Amino acid sequence: MINVYELQDSNKRRSALVIAVFIAFVLGVGWVFARLFDYGPGAIGIALIFAGLMSFASYWWGDKVILTLSRARPADRNRDFQFFTVAENLAMASQIPMPKLYVIEDTAANAFATGRDPRHAVVCATTGLLQKLDRSELEGVIAHEISHIKNYDTRLMSIVTILVGMITLLSDWFLRGARFSRGSREKEEGSLGAILLLVGVFLALLSPLIAKLMQLALSRRQEFLADSSAAILTRYPEGLARALEKIATDREPLEVANKATAHLYIVNPLKNLHSGVGWFAGLFNTHPPVEERIRILREMR
Amino acid sequence: MLLGIIAVLGLVALYVWSLYNQLVTIKTRIRASIQEIGNQLKRQADLIPNLTAAVKGYFKQEKEIFALISEARKAVMEALKESSAQKLVDASEKMQQALAPIRALFESTPQLRSVEPTVKLMDEVRDTADKVMYARRTLIDLTADYNIKIVTFPSNLVAKLFGFKPETGLKTPGEGEHLEVSAEELKTPKVGESL
Repeated sequence: MINVYELQDSNKRRSALVIAVFIAFVLGVGWVFARLFDYGPGAIGIALIFAGLMSFASYWWGDKVILTLSRARPADRNRDFQFFTVAENLAMASQIPMPKLYVIEDTAANAFATGRDPRHAVVCATTGLLQKLDRSELEGVIAHEISHIKNYDTRLMSIVTILVGMITLLSDWFLRGARFSRGSREKEEGSLGAILLLVGVFLALLSPLIAKLMQLALSRRQEFLADSSAAILTRYPEGLARALEKIATDREPLEVANKATAHLYIVNPLKNLHSGVGWFAGLFNTHPPVEERIRILREMR
Repeated sequence: MLLGIIAVLGLVALYVWSLYNQLVTIKTRIRASIQEIGNQLKRQADLIPNLTAAVKGYFKQEKEIFALISEARKAVMEALKESSAQKLVDASEKMQQALAPIRALFESTPQLRSVEPTVKLMDEVRDTADKVMYARRTLIDLTADYNIKIVTFPSNLVAKLFGFKPETGLKTPGEGEHLEVSAEELKTPKVGESL
């Protein structure tokens, strides 16, 4: 049996660790490239701006873009009574403003939250979810989404996406540049320069992949964190556990979801497209395995 | 040297300022959550006459059940007048107990569940009960948070300076509030499963 509060603390620590490792990795890669290529802070800044511009739109208008992409309609207190009131209660309990609520007309059961901060937060559920879950199960799901909002997960993932984009750009430039500038590098100091060059090529080839894997690891950690926060919020982890069971056994894919929006949902909506098994396939998942999440929820008290 | 002293004084002033604001904010939220408990209880009490009308004729010992409910309703109304958090919560517990037979009846009677207005009514009753529970929990959490700030160092110095007094909040059983709530939460799904 795990104490919910201890679990919450350990989840927070592990999230912080992943974030710290990620930042260290980005700084390290940036430093090696700068050192090797005389990039200077300027080039790193430019890469950051480029990567930032690409992600800024999704960060700032993300809520609207995603809602349009998913063809959602605003929730209505009469029509979606359970959804509306449960969200109202949990927003009150977690001391955040009431998020905007939307409903996607789709029989697949799923839900997601987005928005750059609690003031601009959006929680979205499918009609399939609202029909299949009873009130305590729905409470678990909404509490999970509200925890994402409270943890600023959308903001965190946007920043991480920007950094991953920056790494990808830098290594891309390095690989292109390295071919042409070899002549000028010859006069650099002997063995250290050679080792650095080797490391640089290695990093340039691998760092985009490594950065992406770290992003996915962070995404999975935030799911665990949101699960444990949801358990604290409702004091009833069984509700979320049962909801996850129902959502997981529902094999219907969500038509409006795609790879870009998949990480937002409570359970990966593209489940039918991924059939990989084992540890390696697990590395590329945005979500931890549902069975493991349910097991942890059931062990809480 | 002088600059250093000024910087330290500035930091201390910032700390006092932000802590004062925090304490005042928590106090306001505590009052708001008490008010929320009151609002929801009032709403629930207003729903009761419709609810009893809807389930009339379904019970054998109708009089006793309805008498208990109207007694609980009276207790709620009295507590509302006094607006003391403890009285409100006690009254709401009484009300929950009185409403239990109606909830059980509703779960076991398909005819009742097919009537749209009654379903709506039951949903509203359940929601107000949930809201009372969450508001009560918010009140307990905030009070604990506030009281801890007031007694721990160094925030207790600031609290003393501005004369912040500990909040009474709600009396909680020694076992801890979350245990009690989870037991209460477990009850609702059980009713559904016993079908």
